[in-house]
Formats: sequence, structure tokens, C-alpha cells
Amino acid sequence: MLDIRLEGKAPIYEQVYGGIAQLISSGRLKPEERLPAVREVAKHLGINPNTVQKAYAQLEQAGLIYSIPAKGSYVAAEDNAAAALREESLKRLHTEMVSAHKIGVIYDDVIGLVNEIWSDDGKGGNL
Amino acid sequence: MIEIKNAVMRFEDKNVLDGVSIAIPEGCAYGLLGSNGAGKSTLLRMLSGIYRPYSGEVLIDGMPVYNNVPIKERVFFINDETIQFNDMTLFEMRDYYRRFYTSFDDALFEKLHAAVELPMKKRLSTFSKGMKRQAAVICGIACKTPYLFLDEAFDGLDPTMRIIVKQMLIDAMLDNSLTVIFSSHNLGEIDEFCDRVGLLHAGKVVFDRELDNVKGSVVKIQTAFDRSVTKDDFSGFEVLHIESTGSVTHLIAKGDREAIRNGVNALSPKIYDEVPLSLEEIFVYEMEVLGYDSSKLDR
Repeated sequence: MLDIRLEGKAPIYEQVYGGIAQLISSGRLKPEERLPAVREVAKHLGINPNTVQKAYAQLEQAGLIYSIPAKGSYVAAEDNAAAALREESLKRLHTEMVSAHKIGVIYDDVIGLVNEIWSDDGKGGNL
Repeated sequence: MIEIKNAVMRFEDKNVLDGVSIAIPEGCAYGLLGSNGAGKSTLLRMLSGIYRPYSGEVLIDGMPVYNNVPIKERVFFINDETIQFNDMTLFEMRDYYRRFYTSFDDALFEKLHAAVELPMKKRLSTFSKGMKRQAAVICGIACKTPYLFLDEAFDGLDPTMRIIVKQMLIDAMLDNSLTVIFSSHNLGEIDEFCDRVGLLHAGKVVFDRELDNVKGSVVKIQTAFDRSVTKDDFSGFEVLHIESTGSVTHLIAKGDREAIRNGVNALSPKIYDEVPLSLEEIFVYEMEVLGYDSSKLDR
């Protein structure tokens, strides 16, 4: 069963969305694998099935999963899921950078950080 | 679809509900919140056709509920009191409801009954409070009405039974697009289970919105400024609460996220951090603004 924990204060559908996106990016849910039914997830987590449906709809919109009417939802094919995850990540970066910009983080520091991480070939730099 | 339009309920000279308007779409799980005496139970009784509104309208599927048997057959109300069944056995209670609700599902009743394991042949007066609730809940779900109202019904159940009842409700929501209204003081439970929430205070609606919307509309901001700030320094959003310790200021801000961000950033903060609030915290701050808060004890 899905290993999602509800513990934050963020809206529940965001937590379900984030939990499933995490399972996909970590490879615990494989491309083309069938997701548990909305009913199962709702019962497992003790939450409103409408909320699970909302999370599934948004995962589908983001291209992470696709659904076949009357059959269920499946993790997107490898290339599609990877592309969707990259887009997700860029969106988060965007939000984060907007707030960094607003509180006065300077351009050169951001660029410095980018260079550091990319020259380190994605290993995370030494921040 | 439930439509409550400007409903007033008057007992003697007091308006217990004072112009309440709420709309609840089909298939919704609605959480009804409010302080003690806010009017939650009165509202549920009015929705169940027990009280006739003094003025305004209370409609279910477009029809007034009061004195309307076909509509009342679409509604099941689980009162916080089950005293009227004390002399009955669960067996008799089931038959009582089966007679009134033509949609009563025997097989479903058997299935639910097997999950709770209550004695069928003992009088309800010998049941504990929680067992009485369970009896009412399984009867209510087995009636398969499109509308189910639970007045603090969750609050008397133990954690395992809460999970079982939630699972029963999830099935009913998916299989019969059940619309369910809970009144509860357990905000965590409402937070997890409801789509929409309404907050009543002194007979009036404070808010009636989608839960995600409510949670998104109030945030806690941790920030710091070079100088001391007060509530009046901010504009573009509502400050529900402000508290400073040293140079750090905590704000409880209500309004559009972007407007809040811009409003705070206009004062050039040194740090800025947004934290979402739990429903319980939102409840406490909203009630504080209305003058209902725990600090009254200190005065």
C-alpha cells in the first residue's frame, strides 16, 4: 500500500500529491504501474475520497500519471514521468527564487550557487 | 443539494440562528464548526425537518424540508442524544428505521453490524454511550439516504471505531454520492475528512468555504524588521494576530497570498517565512477576532 504520511499542515490533497510524486521520483512506483484505487487510498488514510480524486486529477494534469476510464490510474511512461518531474522541480525553483529575490538575495550569489552545483555534476555542492 | 437561505430560528425572543445562508453541493463532506451554543445542532435539526424556520428557507433538492415526508426520507439525522431508543433492542431499532426508510438495505446492515459486533437483543439502555452511537451510525448508513447528518456523532467513538465509520462513509460517498454534514469539536478529524467547512458564531456564519481555500487564506508569517511594527503598518490584507519577540515578529495574516507577501515585503523585512496553519489554529484565531478567546479566563 502507498506509504504516504499525513502530518504537515498543508492541504491534504497537496500532501497526497506530494507523496505520490515522491514515490514516482524515487522509483518506488514504476512507470506504467497501476496506482491504488481512490477508494483504497481514502480508506487507508482515512480521508475524503474527493480529496484523493483531486490529487489524482492534478497528478494527471502534471503528466505524472494517466488514467483509463473504468480501469484506474497508472504511472506515466518513463520519459513522460521524468519530463513531468523536471517541470515540477523547475516550478518549485521558480517559487523559491521569487521569494529569494523579494527578500533581497543578490543575483551573483544565485548564479554562484548554480555554477557550483552544476560544475559539481549534480552532487549537491558544498553549501 | 442543500440550500439554506437567510434562515432564522427563534426560541422565545432569541435568534438562535440569525440569517444563516449556506449552500452544500451533492457528494460533499461538510464540517460544521462553532463554539458551544453557536447554533450547530439547531441548524442540523432544521435541516432534518424537526424545526420549522422562523423565516428564510431551508431546501433540500429544491424543496422545503419541514413537513415534507418524501424529502425527510432522503435525510438521516444522527442526534447527539439517542435516549428515545433506550427501551428498544438494536433489532427493534433496525425495524423501526426499515419501516420509515424504503431505501433501507438489509444486506448492508448485516455487513455493518458484523463490523461493530453489537448485541441485537439487548436493550439500548444497557449500551455504553459509544455503543449507542455505533448503533445509530450503522442504522443511518444502512438507510442509504443521500443525506446524512452527524451531530457530534464522531466524538463518542473510540479511535478504531472512528476508522471503521470513516471507511463506511467513504464507501457511501463513492457508491451513493452521499452528502454528509458533521458537527464536531474534533478539528483534526474535520480537517482530514471534509471538503467544505462552515464556522458559526452566535447564530451567524463567519465563513462557509472550501477547506483548502480556508487553509490557504490564513497563514502564519515569521518575519523580522529593523524597527518595531504594529498591526496598522500593514495594508492589503487583514492581520488577525501579531506578536513580537525580540526582533522576530509573528503575524497571522488573512487574505490573498500574493497580497500578504507584497504587504509584508513593502516594509523590507530581513527575513520572511510562511507557514500554513492547521484548521484548529485558524479556528482559534478567527474566534479571537470575534472576541471569543481563552484569555477571558485571565481577566
